[in-house]
Amino acid sequence: MTELLRVEGLSKSFGPVAVLQDVGFAVPTRSIIGLVGENGAGKSTLFNILTGLIRPDHGAVFFKGRPFRPRSYKEAFAAGVSRVFQEQALILSAPVYENLLLSQEHRFTRFGQLVDRRAMIRMAERIVEDAGINIDVRRNAGAFDFSKRQAIEIARACVAPRHLMGIEDPLVLLDEPTSTLDREDETAFFDLLRRLRRQASFIFVSHRLTEVRDISDIIHVMKDGRLVGTLGPREADEKTLHGLMVGRERADDYYHLDRQQAVAERPVACRVQGLSGAEFRDISIELRRGEIVGIGGLLDSGKSALGSAIAGVRPPSGGTVTLGGLPSSRPSIRRFVRQGLGYIPAERLVQGIIPGLGLAMNLTLPSADRYSPKLVWRRGLERRAAEAAIRAMDIRSGSPTVLLSDLSGGNQQKVVLARWLQRDLTVLVLDNPTRNIDAGAKEEIYRHIRSVTKANVDVILITDELAALIGLANRILVMQLGRVVIEIPAPPEAKPTEHDLIAHMLPSAA
Amino acid sequence: MSLSANSISRKRNGTRRFVPAVDRGTWLPVIVVVALVIAFSWMSPTFFTWRNFSATSGEAATLLIASLGASFVILMGSIDLSVGAVVLLVATVTVALLQHFQSSDLGFLVLPFGALLGGLLGAFNGAICVLGRVPSFVVTLGTLSVFTGTALSILAGATIMFDLPFFETLSLAQSIPHLPNIALCAAVLWLVFIFVGIWTRFGRFALLIGGGEVVARTAGLPVDRYRVYAFTLSGATAGLAGIFAMSRLGAVGPTLGVDLLLNTIAAIVVGGTSLAGGSGGVQRTFIGVAIITILNDGLNLLGMGEYWQMVIKGFVVVGAVLISQDRLRSQIVK
Repeated sequence: MTELLRVEGLSKSFGPVAVLQDVGFAVPTRSIIGLVGENGAGKSTLFNILTGLIRPDHGAVFFKGRPFRPRSYKEAFAAGVSRVFQEQALILSAPVYENLLLSQEHRFTRFGQLVDRRAMIRMAERIVEDAGINIDVRRNAGAFDFSKRQAIEIARACVAPRHLMGIEDPLVLLDEPTSTLDREDETAFFDLLRRLRRQASFIFVSHRLTEVRDISDIIHVMKDGRLVGTLGPREADEKTLHGLMVGRERADDYYHLDRQQAVAERPVACRVQGLSGAEFRDISIELRRGEIVGIGGLLDSGKSALGSAIAGVRPPSGGTVTLGGLPSSRPSIRRFVRQGLGYIPAERLVQGIIPGLGLAMNLTLPSADRYSPKLVWRRGLERRAAEAAIRAMDIRSGSPTVLLSDLSGGNQQKVVLARWLQRDLTVLVLDNPTRNIDAGAKEEIYRHIRSVTKANVDVILITDELAALIGLANRILVMQLGRVVIEIPAPPEAKPTEHDLIAHMLPSAA
Repeated sequence: MSLSANSISRKRNGTRRFVPAVDRGTWLPVIVVVALVIAFSWMSPTFFTWRNFSATSGEAATLLIASLGASFVILMGSIDLSVGAVVLLVATVTVALLQHFQSSDLGFLVLPFGALLGGLLGAFNGAICVLGRVPSFVVTLGTLSVFTGTALSILAGATIMFDLPFFETLSLAQSIPHLPNIALCAAVLWLVFIFVGIWTRFGRFALLIGGGEVVARTAGLPVDRYRVYAFTLSGATAGLAGIFAMSRLGAVGPTLGVDLLLNTIAAIVVGGTSLAGGSGGVQRTFIGVAIITILNDGLNLLGMGEYWQMVIKGFVVVGAVLISQDRLRSQIVK
């Protein structure tokens, strides 16, 4: 087998965070390569580099023997590297043939401007036939179900380049393509891949380890930006893969296990009963004073949607949340904030901070009740509160007026946390509070999370970072496809391992 | 706030900035005003005179008042295209009522009436935006047509003249020498609105919502309610401006307020409030109003035709935004 792609010593850092470190591997022609790792292991960054979205700091990529440095997705696609995302990128209101030939219309024009639809349809028919998909290309993409649409997308990625640009042997990057498929569709999907591997190569990212093992010729394991193992399908049993993916030591000090409180005897302060929504069903949680309840699960587990429903940001379709007083079937963040709830959303830049405004304004955002009880906004009090927060949270290069966009991610997140810590809290809902921030800031935030429980605040900690989940939580709820599949107690003396958690997070174990 | 010995003992960062970073949006418009004044004084002998100052400041007063409320709408990241139409409709309704009752002792009651009627029209704008989740651009584009059409059908194409002693006091008399009362009122109102913008909950929420509506919602701010407030305020100041405009002219005709559609938005944006929301404020609108008015006045004095004035004004608006905005930060153009 010849070599289609070679990656050598690839490194990439975002500020102080090294997301890829000296990654190297090869993709033989007409092969399927599996790529596994936890969230944040560097898989997406690798894909981003291969498709020209970002450029590496060091290292080289060779595609078909030549140096490959795409500057945009367009360039990567023109060379024969394409990517199929988790979320589909089809225009549902347009016919399949237009979707298949998207941005290739110029190949079908007559007299410069007129588009020759019949030629497009003929070409599209050849593409789907070649891919072995049986559909009418003149129907709208929206008329087909999810798995058919996925097949269309994959045909666009790996068959169309040959017919349109004469590219033999394209490379297709598959980013968790199966995470939303059911078993039957999954089987159809793998049949499609096996057919198409006669003319294309694939790098396949998935959290479902058994299917990676079944389909891949070679499996690479990534962890913390490094390639930590390469296995053949025979040796790659789930346990071995888990071990490589996780494999780190637990640091008791890091999570202040000595300060974890025994809460079994305490009164229930916050109650979630039978909460349902678009992405989760029938969730019930009881939180005792000063308890940290961890919620873990894959991207499609619905844990983030659950968090925002509990906080009252997105209305649930059923169930109640009780905070202090009576059960509420229509949780509202506005009312809950007055009753002592704080919420840190997962998307810091979109939902958490206002980058164009100053630190003080971001800090006092939900606290008009305190800073403007009457008509006037108390700017002096606000400035002093900002200075106190900068000291208490150790916010680097902070001043009350510094724009949040001028702070690092970690310091931005400290402002968001301080925003809630300065209020009288009863419940704090945290969704990935330490995502994409440096180790120092993480440590600081963990310390503060532990501290608020001393003040009898309940914490709901939703995170992809298993070590933090285990280290901080009193007990852990594991979610799978919208349901809690197990509750794992996590007392300081008997913490579960990451293997235990992953085993319950993966559908293959169900 | 949880404090810990650990964090206190760490070195505090030395770079404290008491003054916010000065961006070009703040000082550039001021320089433009000074440059325009110098240029026109040099080119026209009548420009730098008390007479001209009195005339121009009266003209600026209407534009300033009409732009005050709209500044908050734009600060929130929305837009109000109906300002000129509200001016026309409020003036028309007021003049029609005055004619109907044939009463001259209603006096200053017309001012609160104008603000109230304008506020209702503005609240209507805001309510449709918020309840229907329709972009403000579309809503106010529609009501621009609705309000204008209503006013024109009341006027039936005619210009209605009238005479009210109170209006003469308002627009012509000068409590401070050389400054017509109408300009004094506008200046005082402007100062009140600066206070509102910087020191009140409404002003703060306008800034927060404009800077990050999703963030504000996620933190439990009553975004929709405050958006309606802003549109109400914009309508109210437009209504006041309508009364001021008719008092200056002594008549209401079909073209009243037509130029305010472009001029209010131009004044606000040229002054340095971002159309994207979240930066700027009503304090800056004054400078924008000054630029637009001085430009109008100066070009008039130079004898330039009305059409060429439009061309130049358009270039100044786009140019001012081009120079002052921080294009590295705003990636989305809408």
